[in-house]
Amino acid sequence: MSKTSRSLVTMPSQAKQGDIIDIKVIVQHDMESGFRRDEQGSIIPRDILRGFLCTYNGTEVFRADLHPGTGANPMIVFSTVATETGTFEFTWTGDNDYLAKTTSQLTVT
Amino acid sequence: MSLAIRSTLRLWLLGLAVLLSWPACAQQAKDSRQSSYELMTPEIQAMQANPDSNPAAFWLLDGQALWSEQHGSERKSCASCHGDAAKTMKGVAASFPKLQRGRLTSLEEQVNQCRTTHLELPSVSHESKTSLALTTYIAAQSKGMPIQVEATPAAMTQVETGRLMFEQRMGQLNLSCAQCHDQRAGLKLGGSSIPQAHPTGYPIYRLEWQSMGSLERRLRNCMIGVRAEPFAFDSTEIKQLEAFLMWRARGMLIETPGVRP
Repeated sequence: MSKTSRSLVTMPSQAKQGDIIDIKVIVQHDMESGFRRDEQGSIIPRDILRGFLCTYNGTEVFRADLHPGTGANPMIVFSTVATETGTFEFTWTGDNDYLAKTTSQLTVT
Repeated sequence: MSLAIRSTLRLWLLGLAVLLSWPACAQQAKDSRQSSYELMTPEIQAMQANPDSNPAAFWLLDGQALWSEQHGSERKSCASCHGDAAKTMKGVAASFPKLQRGRLTSLEEQVNQCRTTHLELPSVSHESKTSLALTTYIAAQSKGMPIQVEATPAAMTQVETGRLMFEQRMGQLNLSCAQCHDQRAGLKLGGSSIPQAHPTGYPIYRLEWQSMGSLERRLRNCMIGVRAEPFAFDSTEIKQLEAFLMWRARGMLIETPGVRP
């Protein structure tokens, strides 16, 4: 089970106002579906990420729900419009009170 | 006199012609060996080549953290003996498995041996996260370096035994490694390309596994595919087969961490 909460964010650090910026996030998680069995034949309990949220200076810009069919170490790529200099916050939530947060700065010129 | 000059000149010209044709000859004898990276889709190639999207990044980060984690009564870590992995581990994985005090040793065994004797830790299983994180971190330090196999008689005995296993038919399907990976490399098996099976990117992140995995896991995978009883992890047989594969890929560049479908 993945108890670490490593995540990688790839996005530009600078953009012109009105530019469309691509954001790529990848997070470390086993995404244990709850349908697999271990070597003794007993079900491995489900442990997955349930949600992903990205806010831009506190405003929600992207949200995703994740399900048992999602593979391990999920990667999400999305885009948004650079409006003002500020902070992007990425939040992953999941089973067993999983919570991982990272932030990235964007300077808009 | 003039005849002598003429014949000398002819000799020179002949020599020049040979020299000029040399690169053409060399090009004909170009290495036909190929990493299976070349067979991947552009998407998977990009996933491997781009550190931002290579899922092995998590194992690399874990490995880096484990490298300096202190354990045991003397509070030792990998770093207390080996220092900076970026310097001391450069090229190390490019020559494993290798003979250590007369015994063929895999990188996984070497890591375990260090951890149990010096860090006083229990040994970890072959495909555990700890083992994969450390071996991925160590092997990635050799990225871009050629695979090197020591050519001592003792090491070559292991390689030759490995070659026999590579050419030995096995399992209910009665297939040898060589029948696919030597004789039918580049053709298709089902929808997938048959690679030449050079161990350049191990441990690899395999999308099918959704995890990193060692070369031994991959070899066992093939053996299960031909319905043979797979060699046990870290058995002499599987290490000899690995030694032969490394010898077969000698000089090819390490690309760890590889991504495969």
